[in-house]
Amino acid sequence: MTIAANVNQCVATIKGIEAQLSILALNSEEESAQRAFHEVMGEMEKIRNELQNRVTQIELEEPQYKNS
Amino acid sequence: MTEPVDIVIRTFLFIAILFLITKIVGKKQISEITFFEYVSGITIGSIAAEVIMGLERNISYGVVSILIFGLVSVFVDFTSLKSKKFRDIVEGSGTVFIKDGKIQEDNLKRERFSTDELASLLRKQNVFKAADVEFAVLETTGDLSVLLKKENRPLTPKDLQLVVANEKEPQTIIMDGKINNDAMSQAGKTREWLDTELAKLGATIENVFFGQIDSYGELTVDLYDDQIKVPSPQQRPLLNAMLKKCHADLELFALETDSESAKKMYAKNAKRMNEAIQKLQPYLN
Repeated sequence: MTIAANVNQCVATIKGIEAQLSILALNSEEESAQRAFHEVMGEMEKIRNELQNRVTQIELEEPQYKNS
Repeated sequence: MTEPVDIVIRTFLFIAILFLITKIVGKKQISEITFFEYVSGITIGSIAAEVIMGLERNISYGVVSILIFGLVSVFVDFTSLKSKKFRDIVEGSGTVFIKDGKIQEDNLKRERFSTDELASLLRKQNVFKAADVEFAVLETTGDLSVLLKKENRPLTPKDLQLVVANEKEPQTIIMDGKINNDAMSQAGKTREWLDTELAKLGATIENVFFGQIDSYGELTVDLYDDQIKVPSPQQRPLLNAMLKKCHADLELFALETDSESAKKMYAKNAKRMNEAIQKLQPYLN
């Protein structure tokens, strides 16, 4: 496993987290819980974007790892 | 009309009347919180018994007096809602038995309570040591309400300065294998949602004896067949684990990379992730 693959995996996990958060936010009755889930969802998106950028960068620097 | 038939008719009639009167007067009558409710409760019962069995008496007398008692009860309730003075007279007020941790002997005497009776009332409230009590009132019902000293009260999250999430009341959506549609709409859930959730648990509605949803929309069920194991909701613990895994991954990336800027980026995001975990902590447990 290359680092690019590892980071990609992490991105996928974060995507999963976002989906879970979205489900929880929709299903929760309690307003403060809904808000917390939504806020963290936004945070996750920021983290995901930065990781995604890093993956692109790695792939540019070391094209041999692409699609690995 | 023969006597037994008369008694049967009277009994059914008075069951109906008593039911009606208690419905009108309401739950207050049943709880017997005030003197007045105590008195009227006893009297209504006695009148009913008297008239049912006493065949020489006219039914209408009993009906009228029960109605009067019911109406006066309602009237007293409404008046005491409006006037505090009236309330004090009719309902009375509590007597302070223990104040600032000290037993008020004079008040005890006024209510004609012996020390044994006080001790017994305290024990009913799970207090075996009078020294643990800060404040205690004898309510008009004859119950003792006890405020313990702070150090003897149960520990709450507030005492520990813990942040905990508020939870709404769970809704019981399945009873005896039948869907409770009112509770479903209260919780804002549809039949389709329920079907998918039940499929996740591997159960059908007919199998479910009792099913509730909590404020996170998680379904917990009790099945008729107690041999079958039902998975408990895993969504939130799983999410917590995923968040922690991501946090660990990010920290690992930060250590592994040689690029200075990437290291910074990973560290920043690891911190962000940690903040998110802290923020969700109250809701994911």
